Amino acid sequence: MSVITIRGVSKAFGKVVVLKEFTDEFQDGEFITFLGPSGCGKTTMLRMIAGFEKPTSGEILIDGKPVSAPGVFVPPEKREIGMVFQSYAVWPHMNVFDNVAYPLKIKKMPKAEIQKKVTAILEVVHLSQYADRMPSQLSGGQQQRVALGRALVAEPKLLLLDEPLSNLDAKLRESMRYEIKEIQRKLGITVVYVTHDQVEAMTMSDRVFIINRGVIQQMGSPIDIYRHPANQFVADFVGKVNFVKGTSANGKIHLKGVDQWLDYDGPLSGDVVVAIRPENMKLTEAEGHLKGTLSSMFYLGDVNDCQVSFGDVTLRVTAESHTYDKLTQGSEVGVVISDFLVYEDDGTDDYSKILT
Amino acid sequence: MEKKVYFDIKWVVILAIVGFLLIFQVFPLLYLVYRSFFSSGSFSLEGLKRIYSYPLNWLCLKNTIITAGLAMIFGVILAFPLAWLVGRTNLYGKKFFRTLFVTTYMVPPYVGAMAWLRLLNPSVGTLNVFIQNLFHLESTPFNIYSVGGLVWVLTTFYYPYAFITISRAMEKMDPSLEEASRISGASPLKTVFTVTLPLMFPSIVAAALLVFVAAASCYGIPSIIGAPGQIYTVTTRIVDYVYIGSQEGLTDATNLAVFLMAIALIILYISNFVVGKKEYITVSGKSTRPNIVDLGKWRIPITLLVCCFALIVVIIPFFSVVTTSFTVNMGKSLFAPGNLTTKYWHTITSRKSILGSAKNSLISAVWAASLGMVVCLIMAYLLKRTTVRGKQIPDFLITVGSGTPSVVIALALIMTMSGKFGINIYNTMMIMVVAYMIKYMLMGMRTVVSAFSQVSPSLEEAAQISGAGWLRRLKDVLFPLIVPSIVAGWFLIFMPCFYELTMSNLLYSTDTKTLGVELFTYQTYHSQQTASALATAILVVVIVLNVVMDKLTKGKFSI
Amino acid sequence: MKKKLLAATLCAAMTAMTACSGGSSGTSTTAAATTAAATQAAAAETEAAAAEEASGTINPEDVTGKVMIYTSMYEDIIEAMDEKLEEVFPNADIEFFYGGTGTLQSKVAAELDAGKLGCDMLMVAEPAYSLELKEAGVLFPHEFAETDKLLFEYDEEGYWYPVRVCNMVLAYNPEKVSKDSIPNTLEGFATDTSLKGKISMSNPLTSGTAYASIVALLDAYGEDYFASLGQQEVAIESGSVALTKLETGECSEIMILEESVLKKREEEGSLLEVIYPTDGTITIPSTIMIVNDDYNSNANTAACEAIEDWFLSSEGQKYIVSGWMHSVRSDYPDAPYDAIPTKEILENVMPVDWEKCFHEREDIRTMFQENVTVPQ
Repeated sequence: MSVITIRGVSKAFGKVVVLKEFTDEFQDGEFITFLGPSGCGKTTMLRMIAGFEKPTSGEILIDGKPVSAPGVFVPPEKREIGMVFQSYAVWPHMNVFDNVAYPLKIKKMPKAEIQKKVTAILEVVHLSQYADRMPSQLSGGQQQRVALGRALVAEPKLLLLDEPLSNLDAKLRESMRYEIKEIQRKLGITVVYVTHDQVEAMTMSDRVFIINRGVIQQMGSPIDIYRHPANQFVADFVGKVNFVKGTSANGKIHLKGVDQWLDYDGPLSGDVVVAIRPENMKLTEAEGHLKGTLSSMFYLGDVNDCQVSFGDVTLRVTAESHTYDKLTQGSEVGVVISDFLVYEDDGTDDYSKILT
Repeated sequence: MEKKVYFDIKWVVILAIVGFLLIFQVFPLLYLVYRSFFSSGSFSLEGLKRIYSYPLNWLCLKNTIITAGLAMIFGVILAFPLAWLVGRTNLYGKKFFRTLFVTTYMVPPYVGAMAWLRLLNPSVGTLNVFIQNLFHLESTPFNIYSVGGLVWVLTTFYYPYAFITISRAMEKMDPSLEEASRISGASPLKTVFTVTLPLMFPSIVAAALLVFVAAASCYGIPSIIGAPGQIYTVTTRIVDYVYIGSQEGLTDATNLAVFLMAIALIILYISNFVVGKKEYITVSGKSTRPNIVDLGKWRIPITLLVCCFALIVVIIPFFSVVTTSFTVNMGKSLFAPGNLTTKYWHTITSRKSILGSAKNSLISAVWAASLGMVVCLIMAYLLKRTTVRGKQIPDFLITVGSGTPSVVIALALIMTMSGKFGINIYNTMMIMVVAYMIKYMLMGMRTVVSAFSQVSPSLEEAAQISGAGWLRRLKDVLFPLIVPSIVAGWFLIFMPCFYELTMSNLLYSTDTKTLGVELFTYQTYHSQQTASALATAILVVVIVLNVVMDKLTKGKFSI
Repeated sequence: MKKKLLAATLCAAMTAMTACSGGSSGTSTTAAATTAAATQAAAAETEAAAAEEASGTINPEDVTGKVMIYTSMYEDIIEAMDEKLEEVFPNADIEFFYGGTGTLQSKVAAELDAGKLGCDMLMVAEPAYSLELKEAGVLFPHEFAETDKLLFEYDEEGYWYPVRVCNMVLAYNPEKVSKDSIPNTLEGFATDTSLKGKISMSNPLTSGTAYASIVALLDAYGEDYFASLGQQEVAIESGSVALTKLETGECSEIMILEESVLKKREEEGSLLEVIYPTDGTITIPSTIMIVNDDYNSNANTAACEAIEDWFLSSEGQKYIVSGWMHSVRSDYPDAPYDAIPTKEILENVMPVDWEKCFHEREDIRTMFQENVTVPQ
């Protein structure tokens, strides 16, 4: 239940700039995600909000009160924030109850009240029967929930999560995703979540910030970002994408290596990069927008994961699963493209390779 | 804008400790260095030139580097497998061995060196003669008065430093890292070399550093083992110069001591450089269960091997010390008629000053160890948990202090702490406590630093975000997690202070006489036996203390 | 009877001396006269007691205040002495600080650097060190009345007096070797190659007596002596280590202070034996000094003077002799336990040039190191 204002915040360690100027305001009850590859500066941003790092410039305000600003610094322990660390940081010398009760003990709450609150929060994180266990007797997922319980028990106005699910297995990760979202909704708190997993970002967030090399690449709702990636990096990082270099002229784009043309009515001309998501292509035995050779197929149950080659270029296509029975490997196929994006090719970033 | 300054006790404490170090350690040593350059009133390198133009001194420098270097290498080579076997395998009698291996640390080097001298002297050394008769050799196989002999005794004395440091770190290591190697198909041995060893690298470097500094600044052993074989080291030279007892002798000694300080500096620099970014955080917030490597069919043979080692390195010399304390004539068998006596024990138990001295030793060593650990903890925190420029300087100062020969420290303190500069703690227990701290804090510092580097900062941050202030975080999270290291570090400082000899002997006053002074008295009193009896008594007390502590805390706190 | 006589002599002498030092111009004639009178008085015990009581005004009881003495004498001796001193000077607080010669000298050097000594009196090292301290202006001159009784060199101005005598001798273990098979001279000690690797001596860099000895040997035999000592591979180590080596048979013969061997013989029934070198025993008196008011810690020189006189008296010398050292007084009859009479030793000594000791110290030490210490 708090508003976080970030004004012109940047961070440098010595001469290395890890986060370029960043300004935004996180609204009350919002679920904000910082998404980016490791080392992009997203954790640094989170740690600045927590107060573990001081911004090199700019200021951070929580509910209108400056917590990090020139001449002002509120240490983390005074910010009343809940935080879950990537490594969980569950204290190995305290049992589950003591771990979770710790923030309340610091607040010198009466014992009975601590008991009540901890019991309640252990219920929320499904750890009621483990209260007396030592962390070494818990699984990774359970330890993670201890960390979550500890972050929530003092009813913070703001919850920070630093890649909390990265050490969990896929199933657990999925269920924890829902749990975290559920808890956030129930408690109505503001959450800042750091992850490199786009699925986590897509499923939980109200707003996502895509960060790369210390620069915010794009900010928006998950749908917005997925559908309208601002640049090649975003397109590539969020979801799957094929990049093909081409030349745009006279309402057509000539795809290099493919040596075929696509109709294009956009504003760009000259050297461009065309980004096509695998799910935005369909395979047909009939004529499509492009013609290629089906070089491989993988039946995944829900979809048929195919590779289609056009001379020097291979595109990944997520086809409907039934096409697996109709098509044969090595045959000629038509590709129908329902949607694609075009970016200017400035030649600096090589995102033309297919990333999966 | 609302301006609110949060008072941070952390920096107050850190500054206080740094101030303490500046006044009581940096200033005295700096004063000595100043004296060595300004001995004639103005800046001059003459003194330095004189000292370093003398070929014997260069020989001493060479000897110091060779013997301390080899002691370091062998010490670590011995300590690592022992720490691994004791800490991570199902070796028989692990606990017993662990206590045994650190026991050497509890014997004053002087007494231990005498034991080795009796065992391995080339003409009539007990062990030497025994082996000679056993294999019908023409001459005795070993000569203790050689570089090899000196290295051997230094190694047997200082490997416990490495053993203690490495086994602490070993206990803390995440076993899944080793398991990952095993699952990748590596044998336990291969795992040790490819995973354990590299992961332990920072601790090994710390251990090596400890051994080197201790061996290089040791006086007792080279004076007894080295000097008769004409192997002189920097410390024996320094003490020679000091005991000349004149002003220029003191200056010459300082000039040589500067060299040891320089070595300490270089070593620390190199170790920082080598370790650099290799500080793996091996204890994370994820709790893991410790695992034990099954030695399988090797369990018995390896246990026997460790037994042999313990017998040679620990038991035989100790046995020699104990029997000495009951022997009248060292030239005869203990059981020769009339040669068995308890009179040396009577001497040490009946002497009126001995109880008082023991009490003084206990008090000053407890103070030195406790204050020392406070300094070490705070300075290790500064080093490992802050980003202040120059945060490694205190660490360096503590290393330099340890690298400085005891006698130089004591003299520096006399010169600076007896009122000339406004502080007068001469002839008080305080000056001894300060001297002990300067000399022995490094042991605590290294232990705590490596413990710190093995506790993930996120554990502390988690407490911080939970609302805990600095002191609270230290108390609730950091200290409980490194308590074994704190106890080990405390002990590592306490023990040598308890029987400290060289500095106490210069600094004591009538009210603050310590056991070390008594020990020194017996040593110069031409009575090896009384010194042995006193050393045995100290040893027994410490072992009993250790056992009691172990029982009381159910194995949590032992050495 | 003898003892009583001595005691009486001493008391009388002392009271006289205290009087002298207290007065502005004490003369040796008065002191001598008093002593003579006291000796006469001692012949009749009752009279002596009366004399003691009569001299109330100059009584040792008037010696008050604190006195700290740095000494390198054995602690056992000090303990015994301390008790006696308490008896003699009941109102004074006399404390001893014990340390090896080297330790004390370096302590004093460091204290001088800081501007003040922690003591009021020194009973340490040999006359060369006294010469050094005198030159440094640390000492207080005290006039001792009975200098005619002193067997050894003393400072004419009273800055230092010999108080105990140490003898550098040879020692061997009759259970391992026979006296005939080893050299009985200091010269032979360095030249008899059958002893190669089996001899040991103290370090002249750390021990004042060892240093004085090499000065004597240098005067007697020249630098060649040390060249051959070096070839003998003599071990340079502390006396306690050397004695143990003698017991175990590791060493056949050692150059050592007589007192160390005597102590071992009396206290442990050791069979180790002293050889008084036939080319002369090196006799090294150790001195007693008072620190002047610029440097002392208790500003109590009056008490120091009384104490110094006591040490130099026959009564004080008794404790020196029971500590296995020889008396400096010609009228003290006894030698230490198992030692030959002092007079006999003095008939055959190797002299030490103290001025040379003091002034050529650096050169002599370097000479020794180059010949003996540095591996050949």
